[in-house]
Amino acid sequence: MKNTVPHPYGKRIRLHETVIESLLFLFALMSVMITVGIVVILFKESMLFFSSDEVTLSQFLFGTKWQPMIGQFGVLPLLNSTITTSLIAMLVALPLGLSVAIYLSEYATAKTKSIVKPILEILAGIPTIVYGYFALTFMTPLLRSIFGEEVVQMYNTASAGIVIGILILPLVATMAEDAISAVPKELRLASHALGSTVAETTFHIVLPAALSGLSATFLLALSRAIGETMVVALAAGAGPKLTFNPFEGAETITGYIVRISGGDVSYNSVDYTSIFALGLMLFIITFTLNLISRSISAKYHMEYE
Amino acid sequence: MKKILLTLLLVSLIILPVAAGGSTEQTETVDAYGWIEDQMVNGLPGVNPLKVTGNIVTAGSSTVFPLSERMAERFSEEGYSGTITVDSIGSGAGFERFTVAGESDISNASRPIKDKEIAQAKTIGRNPIEFKVGTDALAVTVSSKNTFVKDVTLEELAQIFGSAVYWSDVRPQWPKEEIMRFIPGTDSGTFDYFVEEIFDKDATAMLSAENVQLSEDDNILVQGVKGSEYAIGFFGYAYYVENKDVLNVLDIEGIEASEDTVNAGVYPLARPLFLYSDASIMKEKPQVAAFINFYLTYVTEEVTSVGYFPASEEALSQGRASWLEAMEGTY
Repeated sequence: MKNTVPHPYGKRIRLHETVIESLLFLFALMSVMITVGIVVILFKESMLFFSSDEVTLSQFLFGTKWQPMIGQFGVLPLLNSTITTSLIAMLVALPLGLSVAIYLSEYATAKTKSIVKPILEILAGIPTIVYGYFALTFMTPLLRSIFGEEVVQMYNTASAGIVIGILILPLVATMAEDAISAVPKELRLASHALGSTVAETTFHIVLPAALSGLSATFLLALSRAIGETMVVALAAGAGPKLTFNPFEGAETITGYIVRISGGDVSYNSVDYTSIFALGLMLFIITFTLNLISRSISAKYHMEYE
Repeated sequence: MKKILLTLLLVSLIILPVAAGGSTEQTETVDAYGWIEDQMVNGLPGVNPLKVTGNIVTAGSSTVFPLSERMAERFSEEGYSGTITVDSIGSGAGFERFTVAGESDISNASRPIKDKEIAQAKTIGRNPIEFKVGTDALAVTVSSKNTFVKDVTLEELAQIFGSAVYWSDVRPQWPKEEIMRFIPGTDSGTFDYFVEEIFDKDATAMLSAENVQLSEDDNILVQGVKGSEYAIGFFGYAYYVENKDVLNVLDIEGIEASEDTVNAGVYPLARPLFLYSDASIMKEKPQVAAFINFYLTYVTEEVTSVGYFPASEEALSQGRASWLEAMEGTY
């Protein structure tokens, strides 16, 4: 209401406008409150975990074994495999997604674009559980037939990572395409006028100009990969293990949370509160990534007039 | 104003389900025992599933799950029109639902209820009654690709699932390859049973071993064991029977799991399967009593095809006696 401009002819403000405005405000407020509520609960329950006699913060951060049932609370094995699967996913999604984006915005005709984009969007609409079974029943056997059953275990982080990469591909492609398309047409035309080919223009002019948007895309995709749950729960393995071999099974943070909450463990146990500590950790990681991505796009955002 | 709206919304969210729950219960009390037939079957009053109304909630052991699911299917096939849910979440979690939240009517379990769980149940006014419904021969399995392990002793099992890293650590003639372990999650009765039998109630050795994958979902374990010739796992016999073509079951102490060895009580890892309920639930929700009655009457006909072994006639008739005692004077 503060922002409403007084009507030039002095008519009074209509009542239904006020009602609509406050209703909309209420809904906006609700989503903020929900976020706040989640954060509060995460912190509260995590405090229960860290205040338990068995757990110390240094043990949590630097311990190399995770098995809360027998008092081992080192988060490194879980964190390590979360990072492994996410990195593999990014290795798949970044080159592919960026290529798709460049093709769509710089090369594709309007007709191809109208076919490819909806297909990408279909890919984005597939439930993640389907991707999970795709990893388990297609990607894992494929990897095993390529590298040998001796090398690749039944549950492994490589298969899960690759499939997460496929899963976030549409996200990377569409966001990167938006970032690239946002570069003003004049820049391209100027480059062409100076005699550059389309490829030269794309790689020397357009991509650097779109860098802030692209970095934001990559970081968002990374936090999506870190938070991905169903695929790793099904395909990455169900036992914490500190390994750098992507062909071995190792449980991720999200995978552990699913396994423990699926069996509804006792509310008073340290197992149960541990999943909140892990949730908080995930939240902090993805929140930091989002903050960085925002500050990058704010800092390097270029205005072209 | 905004606060009031928000509060109203929240309050209505909380009240609605409660109000809905209350109204359905009232309609169900009409002729609650119409399903009881005059004829006695196997020592219990006959059940006519067509006349049973209302929903039944069961949860617990993933080992008992295939059996309960089969009984639920048969109950529905014979005319029961309500909804019966069978959740496979592990015995421990099942008891948690039954004794803490009181959300389930029947708790499936592959281990007996613990004293502290009984005490917990009493605080919410439930007094668990035990019904033995079958016997499981816990199956220790390897992939059918595995050619070197055929039988193990109980001591070797403790090594395989505990301190040993390589197969050759257990028996020198076995290959020097890492043991891949697939074990039921810590919330399952199968886990508890195994720890009790093999590790003398101390799970530390098993949980701190390398290459351990835990899951409450036995199908994940089957997938894992099947995947590598150096993998080993254990679960209820029914999951072995279902996957006979890809798994080999090991003899324990030279004894093969079979109906004879299980019935004779010589198979070392045979254990009873249970249902738990409570007399007050069975009286309040006669459909629960009807289902347990039906279960106890026909379970022996179904148990073998699911992949388990019948409970002894003595155990079954004990269960029937408990049923009659719980329902005394109600119909």
